Amino acid sequence: MSEYEYIIKTEHLRKAFGSLEVLKDINLAVKKGEVICIIGPSGAGKSTYLRSLNQLEKITSGKIYIKDELFLHREHNRTIHRVEPDRQKAMLLEMGMVFQRFNLFPHKTVLENVMIAQILVRKKSKDAAKKLAKEIIDRVGLSDKLDVYPSKLSGGQQQRVAIARALAMEPEIMLFDEPTSALDPELVGEVLNVMKRLAKQGMTMLCVTHEMGFAREVADRVVFMADGMLLEEGTPAEVFDHPTNEKAVNFLRSVL
Amino acid sequence: MAAVALIGFFCAINVSEEAMMDHASDEVKQLIEEEKDSTRKYLTITYNNLGVVSYISFSTSGAQSIKEAYVGFAGKIYSANEGFGKFVGQMVNYTYRMLGSGENLLHGVKLTLLLTTLSMAIGSILSIFLALGKISENRLVSKISSGYIFFFRGTPLLIQLFVVYFSVPAIFGFSWRSLFSMSDPEAVYKGAFIAALIAFSLNSAAYCAEIVRAAIQSIDKGQNEAAKALGMSYGQTMRTIIIPQSIRRMIPPLCNEFVMMIKDVSLVFAISLMDITTISKTIMTSEGNYLVFFPALIIYLIITAIFTYLFGKVEKRLSVYE
Repeated sequence: MSEYEYIIKTEHLRKAFGSLEVLKDINLAVKKGEVICIIGPSGAGKSTYLRSLNQLEKITSGKIYIKDELFLHREHNRTIHRVEPDRQKAMLLEMGMVFQRFNLFPHKTVLENVMIAQILVRKKSKDAAKKLAKEIIDRVGLSDKLDVYPSKLSGGQQQRVAIARALAMEPEIMLFDEPTSALDPELVGEVLNVMKRLAKQGMTMLCVTHEMGFAREVADRVVFMADGMLLEEGTPAEVFDHPTNEKAVNFLRSVL
Repeated sequence: MAAVALIGFFCAINVSEEAMMDHASDEVKQLIEEEKDSTRKYLTITYNNLGVVSYISFSTSGAQSIKEAYVGFAGKIYSANEGFGKFVGQMVNYTYRMLGSGENLLHGVKLTLLLTTLSMAIGSILSIFLALGKISENRLVSKISSGYIFFFRGTPLLIQLFVVYFSVPAIFGFSWRSLFSMSDPEAVYKGAFIAALIAFSLNSAAYCAEIVRAAIQSIDKGQNEAAKALGMSYGQTMRTIIIPQSIRRMIPPLCNEFVMMIKDVSLVFAISLMDITTISKTIMTSEGNYLVFFPALIIYLIITAIFTYLFGKVEKRLSVYE
């Protein structure tokens, strides 16, 4: 039962770095429980799109809705509407983000990495934060690494900790920005398995990925993006087996 | 370890003051006896104890002056009136004076250590705010911080010291010594020390700010983004993520800055404070002994070595996660 239609919806989202237009009119809506994979060649603006959702990038123009509530409206680099700071902070916490390069805090142990934002942002007690952290770390299969520093972990393990860290904030939707691209091939599987399990448990996910197998198996919808535009959208079967856009055809031919 | 044990051993068998006094010649003993109840002293007794070695000298002025000196070392007492004994005795005496033992706190090695550590401590705390100010997105804050750093790095420390010590009280109509009670005989030195502390802190803040800024900016941008994505505020991110990581990178250049500061402290000669350098210069001028600089050099080396070692330890400790 959800009290809203879309967790995230963007309308006419544009982003330019100087004269370089990276996102050109992106319209996308994500329903609760949906798993959407964004595929496409590098430089298509996939990462920029995810990063502009949680305000790591400032959009040039467009509207972002979170849980059907207008979160941000900008036109020509000027903010037309924005929710007030406290509400903004709360709304941004609906999104958890996993980065390509993990970005774990190297001076904190695995447990501390997963605990810190719960304590500082969610204002939880240390014990409550620890309890949840242990539970989530167990879910990503790293309970034996609680007091280890990230530098002692493999890339795959680090990325699983990063997923746990994002999950600990109990977000409504998880944004994955090429979570397996920085990993050695033999470590990709463990991260994808964690993500598959998450999807099965009903987590809403928006995932930029180059893992076509994963997209085909897990995604409810696949979105093909190139040159800052959404060119193809549909079920995995539609997009992978019967692409209509020429660029999508070429891209899929080269990666599959 | 062995060196420490050896020093401990020599300290343990060091000759006591009574034994040294006892060693004086009959003539001197008689003088001591005569002067016991008189207020007018004719005989000057200097006793310096460095733990490992001690030195005593008896001297009188006048036509038939008496000069006697002894060095106590390893449980034995040697005459220090001439030759090698005299050399050792003088070195002990000079070192003792530079250490500032037995005198007030704002003297010699104590002054150098106190001024360096305090002004570095205050300076590095200030420098964090300056560095954050300089990289701030607020143009005004950034300009003010940059201006501060430019000013203090672009002007001589000696003149900054003069401005704080002479100009500031003149402009605002107070005097540094009046910060302390009139009856305090050391009020002048304490006042000068406060002025020096302010000047050195402000100066080291500017130098440390550049170190802090470089260290903060060397932290991967992903750390900032991860913290932001987790909903952490700017202050929380700086306090718990960025600064703790950058502190380790600040240690080597801060150690450098610290060592420079130890030597810069000698500028306090200009405002009547006596640090190691100033004392050695004074001894050289008044006693004409050019060897006085060697104990000064050795003292500086020892201080520098100790702090370099400590900074290294801290750096190692902060590196546990790497």
